[in-house]
Amino acid sequence: MENALALTALNKSFPSHKVVDGISLNVPKGCFYSLLGPSGCGKTTILRMIAGFAEPDSGEINLNGKRLNGLRPYERPVTTVFQSYALFPHLTAAENIAFGLERRGEKPAEIAPKVKRMLELVGLEHRADRVPANLSGGEKQRTALARALVVEPELLLLDEPLSALDPALRKRVRLELKQLQKQLGITFLFITHDQEEALSLSDQIAVMNKGKIEQIGTPQEIYLAPATRFVAGFLGAVNWVDGIGIRPESTRISRQKPAEPTKSTTAKVVTSTFLGDCFHIETTTENGTAITAQVAFNEEPFAPGESVHVYWHASDELPVRG
Amino acid sequence: MNRLRTIFLAPSAAFTVILFLIPLSIIVAYSFLTRGVYGGVVGPWTLENYQRLFDPLYGIILWRSLVMSTLATILCLVIAFPLALFIARASDRAKGIYLYLVILPFWTSFLVRTYAWMFLLRDTGFINTILTSLHIIREPLPLLYNETAVVVGLVYGYLPFAVLPLFSNLDRLDKNLLESAADLGATPWQTLYKVIIPLCAPGLRAAGVLVFIPCLGAYLTPDLLGGGKSIMIGNLIQNQFTTARDWPFGSAISLALMALVMVLLVSLLRQDGEEAL
Repeated sequence: MENALALTALNKSFPSHKVVDGISLNVPKGCFYSLLGPSGCGKTTILRMIAGFAEPDSGEINLNGKRLNGLRPYERPVTTVFQSYALFPHLTAAENIAFGLERRGEKPAEIAPKVKRMLELVGLEHRADRVPANLSGGEKQRTALARALVVEPELLLLDEPLSALDPALRKRVRLELKQLQKQLGITFLFITHDQEEALSLSDQIAVMNKGKIEQIGTPQEIYLAPATRFVAGFLGAVNWVDGIGIRPESTRISRQKPAEPTKSTTAKVVTSTFLGDCFHIETTTENGTAITAQVAFNEEPFAPGESVHVYWHASDELPVRG
Repeated sequence: MNRLRTIFLAPSAAFTVILFLIPLSIIVAYSFLTRGVYGGVVGPWTLENYQRLFDPLYGIILWRSLVMSTLATILCLVIAFPLALFIARASDRAKGIYLYLVILPFWTSFLVRTYAWMFLLRDTGFINTILTSLHIIREPLPLLYNETAVVVGLVYGYLPFAVLPLFSNLDRLDKNLLESAADLGATPWQTLYKVIIPLCAPGLRAAGVLVFIPCLGAYLTPDLLGGGKSIMIGNLIQNQFTTARDWPFGSAISLALMALVMVLLVSLLRQDGEEAL
């Protein structure tokens, strides 16, 4: 597939440390691409360099074959959905959405129908004349999204756009965001520290740590075949048994020694936590390794202090290299 | 609790009553009386002082005061806005230093500073001397004792009152908004006109009021830099209480000026209120 965005050997240092360390990645056209990593890993700095708010010390930023380095933010065919939304408080939702079109010198007669269509697309027709102070969190988020999308950018940057929403709303908006991206076919570069968000939304994920890329792949690839211990641990809980990683949902537990040919070890139950859809059973082996197993909600509960066998299939071991 | 409140408020209440309400009541009473032969006030009660306000002679002075104050206010805002923007975007350490410099003139008396302007502007003053010795001009420029000199003096005197509210407004402006404007394609000038200035409307209004009101009542600056030729309402009031010895008319002008300022203030405050909704 043709690439929209290409970052080549991007470097950026702040006085205290190197925030972006030799980043190269390609974002295919129309892709929902996520940069996933803990705060301070450099993902926001990468976004700011693509948008033009910061310049890389070295390296290239190319978008659809055009070099972006050195261009002012207003010269780049890129828009951003900010974490804080950064809506203009003196303008209504419709005026906020029209802002970018006006700056491009479009005439009011061309702008009005585009704003109307965009308001319909994000379901805010009834909120067109409200200023941001009178919009709910979700409505602000959708206004910010509409404002950035209406100018038909070659690339949309999203800086943790869901983090200010409450959890229930976040899941719904997530679905809407994914649908919108597929519908419009615009390339999305999504910045997040939330692995669930990245896994559920993305076509491709680049996992970052300390200014470097740890792994690039589809959600399944990075979850099921993490390249490094960091990736394995960042994407979900992992039991580390003699240097081998097994996710709790692949770890089984029983009172009898398992008959089938599996890897097993004896352990004692430490705690058993009921989570509604499952139990998390924390155990510890004789040599002190902690292993957590996820057990179905309808199984007979295990009690703390009970001696059990913990086992797993070799095929479920994470093929971690580094 | 109530008693404590009474004790705490007593000094300011006493101050207001003795130094503001009582003198104001006296002025109101005076304005309806007749001038005595050697100053002071005598009966009978009359509305004549207020009728005299409509004499074209005084209308010209009022008009001049309004024009010069408006001009000085606009100049103050035009000069203060970029300065306030510059200070607001400086580092925290530099901000403190710049603000300190803005209020530094207050350390010297306003009278002394106005005299300093006379030394700068007069025929044998600093500016004319330099220009003459550089052979740029042959005759000294008439810099002092005209309306321009008065406006310059007013702008100089009240500039800090414009810088401070504008700074406080601009300093609170969310930097993300400027980035998001640029992100959506706004050039720095477009960001200024479409985002910064509209969001600075409250600061601009506050700065305008804080400069315009003292300008309208100014009497020292027009007296010293205008040389008595282009007098403003402040000078007219002063004249009535001193040389003209017409306290009732002086009182009537003072009250008329107060009324004018109050009308302006109320209409501006109403706008602020509407925007807050």
